[in-house]
Amino acid sequence: MFRAGSSGTVQIRPVSAIQVEKLTQRFGAVAAVDDVWLDIADGEFMVLLGPSGCGKSTLLRMIAGLLPPTEGRVLIDGVDVTHAPPQGRDLAMVFQSYALYPHLSVARNIGFPLRARDMPKRAIEAKVADVAAALDLAALLDRRPRELSGGQRQRVALGRALVRDPGAFLMDEPLSNLDAKLRAGTRAELSALHDRLGATFVYVTHDQIEAMTMATRIALLNNGRLEQVGTPEQVYDEPASTFVAEFLGTPPMNLLDVTLRSGVATAPGVTVRLDLPDRDLILGVRPEHLQLTTGDEAMLRGHVTRVENLGSEEVAICAVGAATVRVRARRPIGPRAGDTVALRADRFHLHLFHPETGRRLVPLTHQEISCVS
Amino acid sequence: MTILAELPTPAPTRAAAPVARPSFAARIRRAAPPYLYLAPALVLLVVWTYRPLAQAVRLSFHTWNLLPTSPITEVGLANYERLLSTPDLGASVWRTVLMVLGILPFSLVIPVVVGLVAARVRGRIYQAMIFAPMLVAPVAAAAVWQWLLDPGAGAVNRVLGVRANWLHDTDLALLTIIVVTGWHIVGFAVLVVSAGLSGINPDYADAAAMDGASRGRITRWITLPLLSPTMAFLVLMTVLLSAQWTFPLIDTLTQGGPSDATTNIYYLLWDYGFHSYDAGLGAAAGVIFFVGFGLIAVGVVALSDRVSHHDD
Ligand SMILES: Nc1ncnc2c1ncn2[C@@H]1O[C@H](COP(=O)(O)OP(=O)(O)OP(=O)(O)O)[C@@H](O)[C@H]1O
Ligand SMILES: [Mg+2]
Repeated sequence: MFRAGSSGTVQIRPVSAIQVEKLTQRFGAVAAVDDVWLDIADGEFMVLLGPSGCGKSTLLRMIAGLLPPTEGRVLIDGVDVTHAPPQGRDLAMVFQSYALYPHLSVARNIGFPLRARDMPKRAIEAKVADVAAALDLAALLDRRPRELSGGQRQRVALGRALVRDPGAFLMDEPLSNLDAKLRAGTRAELSALHDRLGATFVYVTHDQIEAMTMATRIALLNNGRLEQVGTPEQVYDEPASTFVAEFLGTPPMNLLDVTLRSGVATAPGVTVRLDLPDRDLILGVRPEHLQLTTGDEAMLRGHVTRVENLGSEEVAICAVGAATVRVRARRPIGPRAGDTVALRADRFHLHLFHPETGRRLVPLTHQEISCVS
Repeated sequence: MTILAELPTPAPTRAAAPVARPSFAARIRRAAPPYLYLAPALVLLVVWTYRPLAQAVRLSFHTWNLLPTSPITEVGLANYERLLSTPDLGASVWRTVLMVLGILPFSLVIPVVVGLVAARVRGRIYQAMIFAPMLVAPVAAAAVWQWLLDPGAGAVNRVLGVRANWLHDTDLALLTIIVVTGWHIVGFAVLVVSAGLSGINPDYADAAAMDGASRGRITRWITLPLLSPTMAFLVLMTVLLSAQWTFPLIDTLTQGGPSDATTNIYYLLWDYGFHSYDAGLGAAAGVIFFVGFGLIAVGVVALSDRVSHHDD
C-alpha cells in the first residue's frame, strides 16, 4: 500500500532524537506519568507499551506539546522544548481517533499541514498527489472522512503526517480501530515505511504483537512508571519484573511463589534444584519452555484441568498445588483434562524475581543473587 | 485412482419450524407502549396548538368582534383583502426584519466571540453571570428597564450623560427594544454556543496544532466550521422567534409606539385582535405569518444543511 513514489516522496529527512527527563504528569492526586526518563535515538522505532490507563497517551501528548508536564523536561535534538507549543516542535502525530477534519475533503486533510505553512497552492496539490499515490488514496481525494472505511481513514491520517518531513512521527494506537487482518498488513507496511524513511517513530500501543513486531526498542509502562526499556528480545527473554513477564507472551509467563532451602526451591507440587543461598522468591517459566517428562527430573507435578486449542498449538492448563501453570506445545500436546502431569524446563529458561518488589533477580557471581537496580 | 469430491457446505440439520405468529392481542400489547408514552404530549399539542390553529384559519374567513353574544359572520376572503391593502402589514414586516437583523449580533456574534474566549478562560461563574438575564421574567425586566430608561431620572441617561427619550423617540424606540431584547437572550445564546463548542472533539484542534496551524487559524479553519450547525440553529431561532422575544417588551414598554415605530408583526396581529376587536383580521394576519414563517423555516433549514458541517 505504501509504495515508494518515484516522484520524490522518499528523500533525506531531518531526523530528530527525543529525550525525556524526569517527566511527570499529575492529575490531582494521581500521577498519570511518574518520573519517566527515556532516550529515543534518531531513526529509532520506540514503542510505548502498557495496559490501558498506564499513561502512554499522556506521555505521548507531553512529548507532542499538547499537555504541559507537571515536572521534567522534553528535549528534541538537545534543545529544551518543554515550554514550546506543538507548532514549534516539528513533530507529526497520528491520533487514535485519527482526528480527520470532518468538514474537509481527503485532499484538504492531507494538505492541511502544508496550508498551515503557507505553501503555494500548486505545490500543495503536487505534494498531496504524491502522498496519495504512495498510500493508494488517489481515487478518494474528493471524499469526506465520513465516507471512508476505517482502513482508509487510517491511511489518510498517515498521509497527513507524511506530507511534510517532520523530525519524528508520534502515533497513538493508530491500528486499534482496524480488524485483525488489516492490522497485520498495516503493521508490516509501517515497519517498511520506517525502514525506508529512516525517521524516528514513537508509537503507543497496548498490543504486544504490534510492539514485538515493529519496535527497535520497547518502553514498558505500568501505572505511569517505566518498568523496562529494551529491544523486543530483551524484554521477552529477560523481563525486568513480574509485570513485564506477565504482560508479554500468550499465555503469559507462569509465576510461582517458592521457598529456597539448602539448594531446593519448593512449593506444593514444585521441586526445583537451585544452587543459591536460602531465601523466598518468585520462580518464572514461560509456557513454551515447559516440557512433559516422566523421569525424576520433574520440577512441577500436577494435573491437567483443561486443554485449549490454538490451531497449530495447544495449551494445557494445569493445577500445581494451589497455582495454575500453563504449558504450550505443538498439537496434540498429549495429556487430556484429568491426567496427572510432570513438567520440567531447562535451567536457563528459569526466571527469578524478588517476592515483594517483583524485580528480576540476577546472579552477581555464581553464588550471590541481587536485585536489578 | 482416487476421485476427489468437493466438501459440501453445512446443510440444515432439521426441517425449519414455521415461525409462530403472535396473537392479535399480543401484537397490540407489544406495539402500544410507545404510543401511550407519546399520548400526553400529543394531547397537549392537539389541544393547545393544532386546535387553535384550525380555529384561527376558520376565523380568518369570518368577521367577529370577540363578544360572545355577537354573531360570527362569514365574509370569504375579505379579511385577507383588507389586510393586504393596508400599508400596516408591509411596514410591520419591515420593522420585524430590522429587529431580526438588530438582534442577530446579540444572538450570534457576541455569543460566538464570548464562547471562544470563555473556552480559553474556564469558569462556571462567568457563564452563570452571562446566563442570569435569561432567568429574569421579561415583564419584570421591562419594569426595571422602564425605570432605568426614564428620560428624567433614569440611570442610563445619567451614566451616558445624555438626555435621550429612549422609549418615546421614534428614532430610538426600535433600537431600545432591540438592545433590551438582546440583553435578554444573549445569555441563552452563549450557553448554546458553549454547548456547541464543548461538543467538538478537542482532538481536531490538537491535530491542527500538531499540523502547525496558529491559534487564529485553528479557530477560523477548524472550530468555526465545526460550530456551523450551532450557528445555523441560532440564526434559525433568531429569524423565527425575534418577533415573539420582543413582544412582551413592546407591550410593556412602548405599546407599539411611538407612532407605530415598534409595531412588529405580532404586535400588529395583537393590535387587530385585542385593541380593534377585529378577530377576523387578526386571524388572517396570524395565518399569513404562520405560512410565511413556515416557508422561511424550511428555507433556512435547507440552507443550513447545505452550509453546515457536522462533526461525526
Ligand atoms: N485530563 C485528565 N484528567 C484526569 N485524569 C486523567 C486525564 N487524562 C488521563 N487521566 C488519567 O491518567 C491515566 C493515564 O491515562 P492515559 O490516557 O495516558 O492512559 P493510556 O495508557 O493512554 O490508556 P489507553 O490505552 O486506554 O489509551 C489514567 O488513569 C487516566 O484516567
Ligand atoms: Mg491512550
